[in-house]
Formats: sequence, C-alpha cells, structure tokens
Amino acid sequence: MDQLLTYPEFPHLLSILIFLPLIGIVPLLFSANDSFSRYWTLIITAVVALLSVRLIFGFDTSTAKFQFAESYTWVESLNIHYQVGMDGISILLFLLTTFIMPFCVLASWSYIKKRTRTFMICLLVMETSMLGVFVALDFVLFYILWEAMLIPMYLLIGIWGGPRKIYASIKFFLYTLAGSVLLLVAIIWLYQNNDSSFFIPDMMWQGYAFTAQILLFLAFFLAFAIKVPMFPFHTWLPAAHVEAPTAGSVILASVLLKMGTYGFLRFALPITPDAAIYLAQPVLWLSIAGIIYGGFTALAQNDMKKLIAYSSVGHMGFVTLGIFVFNLQGVEGAILQMINHGVTTGALFLCVGMIYERTHSRELLSATGVGKYMPVFVTFLAFFSLSSFGFPGTNSFVGEFMILAGAFQFDTDLGKFPYLALAAIPGAILAAAYMLRMLQKVIWGGTNNPDQSWQTDLNAREIVTLAPFLFFVFWIGLDAKVFINMMHTSVAALLDNLHIHQQQALTAADLILR
Amino acid sequence: MTTSFFHPALIMIIGACLLPFFRDPFRKPFLVLVPLLTFINVLYLSMHPGTYGVLPFLDWDLTFGRVDNYSMLFGFIMALMAIIGTIYGLHVNNVWHHVAAWFYVAGSLGVIYCGDFLVLFLFWEMMAFASTFLIWFNKEEGSLAAGYRYLLVHTFGGVLLLLGFVLRYQALGDLSFVHMGEESTQMYTWLILAGLMLNAAVPPLHSWLPDAYSKATAAGAVFMCAFTTKTAVYTLVRGFAGFEILIVLGVVMAIYGIVYAIMENDIRRLLGWEIVSQVGYMAAGVGIGTALAINGACAHAFAHILYKGLLFMGAGAIIHATGVSKFTGLGGLYKKMPNTMIFMIIGGISVSAFPFFSGFVTKSMIIAASFSEHYLVVAFLLTLVSAGTFLVAGLRLPYLLFFSENRCSETTFAKAEDPPWNMQAAMIIASFFCLLIGSYLPFLYDMLPHAEVAFHPYGTYHLSETLQILAFTALAFYFFHKKIGPEAVISLDLDWFYRKGGLLFLWLAKYPIQIADNAWGAAYRVVGLNSLMTTAKFWSWFDWHGIDGVVDGSARCVRAFGRRIATVLQRGQIQMTIYYTATFAAVILIAYVWL
Repeated sequence: MDQLLTYPEFPHLLSILIFLPLIGIVPLLFSANDSFSRYWTLIITAVVALLSVRLIFGFDTSTAKFQFAESYTWVESLNIHYQVGMDGISILLFLLTTFIMPFCVLASWSYIKKRTRTFMICLLVMETSMLGVFVALDFVLFYILWEAMLIPMYLLIGIWGGPRKIYASIKFFLYTLAGSVLLLVAIIWLYQNNDSSFFIPDMMWQGYAFTAQILLFLAFFLAFAIKVPMFPFHTWLPAAHVEAPTAGSVILASVLLKMGTYGFLRFALPITPDAAIYLAQPVLWLSIAGIIYGGFTALAQNDMKKLIAYSSVGHMGFVTLGIFVFNLQGVEGAILQMINHGVTTGALFLCVGMIYERTHSRELLSATGVGKYMPVFVTFLAFFSLSSFGFPGTNSFVGEFMILAGAFQFDTDLGKFPYLALAAIPGAILAAAYMLRMLQKVIWGGTNNPDQSWQTDLNAREIVTLAPFLFFVFWIGLDAKVFINMMHTSVAALLDNLHIHQQQALTAADLILR
Repeated sequence: MTTSFFHPALIMIIGACLLPFFRDPFRKPFLVLVPLLTFINVLYLSMHPGTYGVLPFLDWDLTFGRVDNYSMLFGFIMALMAIIGTIYGLHVNNVWHHVAAWFYVAGSLGVIYCGDFLVLFLFWEMMAFASTFLIWFNKEEGSLAAGYRYLLVHTFGGVLLLLGFVLRYQALGDLSFVHMGEESTQMYTWLILAGLMLNAAVPPLHSWLPDAYSKATAAGAVFMCAFTTKTAVYTLVRGFAGFEILIVLGVVMAIYGIVYAIMENDIRRLLGWEIVSQVGYMAAGVGIGTALAINGACAHAFAHILYKGLLFMGAGAIIHATGVSKFTGLGGLYKKMPNTMIFMIIGGISVSAFPFFSGFVTKSMIIAASFSEHYLVVAFLLTLVSAGTFLVAGLRLPYLLFFSENRCSETTFAKAEDPPWNMQAAMIIASFFCLLIGSYLPFLYDMLPHAEVAFHPYGTYHLSETLQILAFTALAFYFFHKKIGPEAVISLDLDWFYRKGGLLFLWLAKYPIQIADNAWGAAYRVVGLNSLMTTAKFWSWFDWHGIDGVVDGSARCVRAFGRRIATVLQRGQIQMTIYYTATFAAVILIAYVWL
C-alpha cells in the first residue's frame, strides 16, 4: 500500500466528490417540480465542480503515487476494498468530468421537456459513476462503476433520444457490455494470480508470463477499444451520438470516450507491458486507420452530430496513437488531447444542440446561412471548429503537435523512416476539410438558404454555457505547460517502468537469437 | 525585480483600443493623456534599469522589458515624439488615424525594450502594418498604391529578418537579441542585417522612404519620419556596432541622399531624401563602433527625430493649408505663414548644425569619431555632406517656400495661413527641444549610453570650422540659387526598380501565376475535391453497410436464431417438449460417459 498517499488536510475529499451527486438525488426523489430539479442539479454539479478545484491545490506534482487516497474494506471474504486515489493521469480527467457536468445541466435547461426530474437523476448517477471510474484502485470497484455507467446512459438515450432511440440505446448497451465481458475474465485471472487481491497498483509491473499477458491485453484491448472507440469498433458511436440528447452527447464525447484511453494507460500498459510493446504496431496502425477513416466519413456527413461523432473517431485515433508510441511527448500529448477533445467536442455538441433547439433538425442543410442572424453563435462555432482541426493557438494544436512529434520520434528512435507521423498528417488535413465545410455551410451557406430570419441569437444562459469552453480552448492553446506539469511525473514514471520492460524484452529476444 | 513593470507599448495599445469609445469633448484630452502616461512610464523605467517582463512561451523565455542605457535613451525620445506627433495631429477627426499611429508607436517602443528576436519580430511587423495605414488614410491620388508598395517592401524585409532569426536559432539555439560579432558572421547575420537595413533605408533598400513619406497624411508623415528609421538605427546599434560595411554604406547614404535632396521638387520627398542622408551619418557611426561613435549615432538619432519631425510638421502645415506639395507651386509664403517659417528655419538650422542648435552637438560627434579612428576619407566626406545639408535644408528649403518669387496660384496663396493651434504647439515643443539640446549639453549628453566618453563641441576649432562651412555654403547659394530652383521633373534613381519591381510583381501575379493558379484551381476542384468527396461518400457508405452491417447483421443473426429456436422448440405441444428434453438429456449423458 506504499503507493498510496492520504491527504490529511481533507481526508475524504475524493469520496465526498464522488458521492455528493448520488446523495443529491435524495431531494429529487421527493419533489415533482421540474424547475426545482433543474436548479438543484445545477447547484449540486456546480458545488462538485468548485470543490474539485481543491484537488489542484492539494495535488503534489512531484510524485507519481496515488494521492488523496482512501481505503476501506468492503467485502472481507473476497478481499474487496473500497480504494480510491488519483495520480497525474487521472486528475485532469477527473477535473474535466466535474467541469463538464454543470454545463450538461445548463444545456438541458429547455431542451428536456418531459420527465425532467428523472433526467436529472440520470445525470447525477452518471456523474458519480464516471468520477468513480477515474479514481477507483480496486478492480471490482472499477468494474462495477464501469458497468454502472451504462445504465443511466442507456436511459438518457433511450428515453430522451431522437427517433431511433431504442435502436441506438440497445446497440450502445450491448456493444459496450460485450466488450467488457472479457474484462471480467481478465480481472478474475489477475485476482487469482495476485495473492487474491483486487488492488490495482499491486498488479502493475508484475512480469506475468508472456502468453498470459497477450491474452490479458487482448481482453483489455477489446473492452477499451470499443469504449474509445477505435476503428473498426466505432459504429455504436455515431448511432448513439445522433440519437442522444445534447447532454448525453456531451457526456459521451467528453468523458465516456476518455475511459477507453484512460483504461489503456491505467491497465493495459502497466499490467501487460510486454504484450503492449509486442502488439504496439498493430494498435498504432489501427489508430492511423481511425484517423484517416474518421476524417473521410466525417467529410461525407450531412448530419452535424454524425459529423462530429465521426470526427471523434479521428481525434481519439490521435490519442491512441500518442499512447502507443511510448514516449513522453506522445503520452503527454495524448492525455492533453483527451482533455482537448473533451473541451472542444463537448462544446461543438453544445453548439449543435443549440441549433437543434431552434430548427429541430440536425441536418446541415436546414442550418445553412444562420451566420447573418446568429453572429454570436457562429463566432463560438467558428472558434470551436478551428480548435477541432488543430488551428495554431488553440488547444488541439498543442496536443496534436505533441502526438505527431512523439510519433515522429518513435520511428526515428527505431531508426526507421517516420511513416507513422506522415500517415497521420492527412487526418489533420481532412479535419480541416470537414470542419470548414460545416462552418462554411452554417455561416454562409449558398443561394438556396432556407429563411433563417426568424432565428434568435444565443441567450445569456447559452453564452454562459459556451464561454468557459472557449476560455479553456485558448488557455490550453497558449499555455499548455500548466496542464502538462500536472501529469508529467506520473507519465514519466509510467514510461520509465515501461522502458525497463522494453529493455528486458530486448535482452531476452537477444538471448534467444543467440 | 522589486519595481513594478508595465510595458510602455502596452499603454499605447490599450489607449488605442479604448480611443474609439471616446467622443468629443473627451477625445482630445484622452489623446494627450495616453502618450503623456507612456512618457511618464518611460521616465519611471529609466530610473529602474533591469530586465522585466520575462514571459515563458512554449520552450522560450520571451523578454519584453530590457531597460538599459540604449533602450532608455531611445524610449525617451520615442515617447516624447509620440506626444509631439499626437498633439500635431489633434485636429484629425479620423479616429482610426490615431489608432494606427499609436499602434505604430507601440511597435517601436516594443522593439526598443525587447530582449529577444521573437518579440522584436512581433513588434517589427506591428510597426510595418500600422504605419501602412498612415499612408492609406491620405486621400491623395497614388497613396493607396504607395501604401501597398511600402507594405510589400516591409513584408519582404520582415521575411529576411525572420529567416535570419530562424537560421540563427537553428545554429545557436538562442533567441536573445545581443550584439553579433563581425568575426563570426554567418548567412543569418547578413540576413538579419539586411532586414534591419531595409528599415533604416540603407541603399539599395532605400527607395521606399521618399516614396512612402511623401504620400502619407500630413500628421502621419510626422510619425513615420521619426519611428521606422530610428528604431532601425537602434537595432543596428544594439546588434551590429563595429560592422565596417556600415561605414561604407553610411557614407554612400549620406552623399546619395543629399544629392537627390538638392534636385527634389516635392517638399516631403526632399525631406525624405534628407532622412536618408542623415541616417547615413548614424549608420556610419554604428559602423565605426567606438564608444564615441556609438554615442554620436545615438545622439544624432535623438536630435534628428526632433528636427526632422519639426521640418515634417512645417511641411505638413503648408500642405494642410495650401494642398500643394511641390515647390513649383509655392513660394513667397513669408507674408502668409510667418510662424511656420520661423519653425522651419529653426528645423533647417538645427539639421545644418548651427551652433546652439541640436545638430551642432550631435553630428560632430560622429565626424570626430571617424577622425580619431583615422577614417579620414569618411570624415572628409561627411563634413562635405554637412555643407550640402545646409544648402538643402537651411537655405534651399526656406528660400523656395518663403522667400523666392511667388509661384503660387491665386487660390493657393489666398488659402495659405498659419496652421491651427495644436500644430503650432507641437512645433513649439519640437523647436524648444532643438534649442535645448544644442544649448544645454548635459540634457542629452547625460543620457548617452557611454557616459565615460566626454565630448566638447564648443571648442574654438569646431566652431570656426562650422562657421566657415556655413558661410561658404551660404555664399555659394547666393551665387547659384537660380541654378537649383525647382523643376517639375522626377529625379529617377533605384526608385525605378522599386516601382517597376512592384509592377513586375503585379504582372507576375496577374498572368503566369494567375493562369497556373486557375489551372491548379480547376484541377483542385475536379480531381481533388470531387475525388475527395467521392472517397468520403464511399467510406461513409462502407461504414454503414460494411462495418456496421457486420455488427447489426450479427445482432440480427442472433435474434433470428433465437426466434428460430423458439419456433422450433417451443411449439406448445407437451409431447414434443418432453421428447426434446429427453433427447437433450441423453446427449449430455452420452457425452459425459464417453468423453
């Protein structure tokens, strides 16, 4: 347990943050008032967001240990514990989640007209399980929260979704559940080979047998690749995004997708390092395929939500690319890009939601030419689009640049021509193509624009919803150091351990060859 | 770093951003207030030398505030000139004119206080773009084209500079703006030098200056004559002191400029040529590079800003009143514009180095430095040029404007009158400083970067020499003034290439490049865009029917299979159910026994 650091100044901070939303459900159970449930949920999520800022001040960037740790016995006979703690990899994702949630409530303010109370309960349950996933250090706890997330999300899509909501929600549920079944098998195997303990840090860097590692890795990979989603396991995403309500899309894009890549960093790399190194090339090329493929399919879409959904496939391809090049630039860029994607894509979904509330259509053609009548809206949209395709000065530029630099270094370190970085670059160009195509149509359109003169520009609530996202777009874009410093020590420790394994593997291969 | 640092350029920028929100009667006080605050800030900084405003950006530490002997002197004069120029332009109603001018000043101050090349480049470009507007705001015919030429040339200079910075960074991994050794010159040194020289109007990169300054607005030209070239001189002093090539170029500049100034027919073109000539002195001083020479270059830049500003203000007053800028349409104005005449004569005798006026105590430093370093030819030629300067600015200019026969048309002469109070006030301030510098030596000399070098201009030898030169020049003018009267011709020089270069650029852009671009555009549309969209459509189709088909298809298979089993196995007949159960049990039993 020496990997855990408690936080005596505020010992239960993490648990309070995790369970506050769940406790916040209680008043909602007794009130049928829609307006109350909106305000109450907003207050709860805002309090969690503000309280989570405390983490930044208590976080020690000089250690790779798990901080703010708490540990209690849960099921004694099976040695299951309630153990939580965060390191540099999870803190930013945790903060991203707490930050996103109040805006999800704001985005649903007038969007959700039926069963508002139930909707808000779903959001709060969602928040608890998402926050828990990012800090769980006990594998059973992790798995329970991981699966628990599916239920509120299923309801969000299935009840408040679009015309094909049943199809989309069942597809989402089954697809992700199918992926994580093997994860459970892997957990049980690890439990048996790890002195009957579910404590995740104990499973790391154990040097399990190579075959076992390969099998474990494949189990992890299936679960996480579906969640990311990596090509070709991505088709649940456009379906779910298109049908989900705005808040659901934002949560999906900003947080749920990150759990896959977070899983790679937290489990796949430390628990099965040799397999990860062995299978890196195929994963890298799947990432490249995702980047290019996501770009092309996004370009062909006329449904704005689908367009952004496919663009997520491309962007998350960049993230997995960064993770599996196993160098500092790549991994740090990948974590930064997770945050960037959460901010930018979340904001883009919010924008589309705002258009949808006005036109009741997500079709590009029905939103053409609104620029003239909604100048504030298109200004926001333009900035987020620029950010989405990595325009210099915005957040994604820094992330993508670091990842590409990492990919470049990966090949040059191996003494090869930098195929990877070169192969990823068309993806960046495609991103500009599909984003600008959307932007051009929405702002100007053509001569056949529908009459948009009745459109009203954003109201104060909507501006308040979007403005913080814009702030982060430029903050990360202009001064990413702050964010990178928070993750640096943990990432460096992860890579150090990984490189030790890489070295051992190389020596072993050398011995066999002789 | 105990003192608080607020960048003077930031005051100007914030002021410029706020200015459009001020309406009369608050605008005029605000216009004076902002440069005044900047000036006070500069004075404050001068009392606290050090390095401030270091901001980390990506992997670099950018330095915005390097306050030392050099930047204090230049910051002082630039901020002073900002006040004078703004007062001179108070009557201008176009608020964007002031905004452009202030951004221009901010660019100059930014360059002066910067500590590295990245910041320098940022402010350098800010200067170029902001000043272009001062030309464009002039409604005169040809201003638009002149502005474009100016912008084109300065963009080219900026590219040279950037190229130099990047190459230097690659070679040294260092961005800091420090002195560059002449012994270890590289490609990048020359690129940077060329970029800076372009702004200092060193031949053959000088043609933009008379062209642009003569087409700027009356108030804009006052700013332009002060900031661009002198900021460039500052950067040369910082980076290239002791580069001997600058001596040669400086002397060439000094002679070249004055020769063209003698032949010029447009007031502001004449003054523009004279800037070239005077900056030549400074360039030569930088090239000599000794403490005295550097002092001289700095002091001369300081004095030059004031008297050349004064002359441009006088020229602006005449153009403002009459709308005529050619000598062939002016003359005999002493009756109508007596105050302007006095100010212009003060400017003229300051530039001609009359005792007790500013040029006398600054120009002689450079000449003295070239003597003491045994550059005798240089010293001789520069002395010769000072005779020419007196001829041009001290005698020819006032003579043609105020005293010679009246060549004005009747309407012009009727319109001529002394300018509004604010222009006169600005000229009074500038005249005062011209006199102050020349009469009270410690004012300027105490600010010079190399305080250890003493220089005494009021020696007998220097005084008598100057008076001789002035007297003989005046005598020559008396005999020959008919010969150098105004002629309505354009004196051609490298300017021709400059103008034709612009046309060539336009032609290239219009014909070969446009044709190639059209073809490329067509190819892009037909081959690139269409095939891209077709590919995209295909992959989108494939995604739904291929990949998702497998997913949904397998789901459908499972469902169909389940239904099939249900229909086959659960028909509801009890015998069938028992039969299936017994069979299934038998299969399991056999499997268990046999396997």
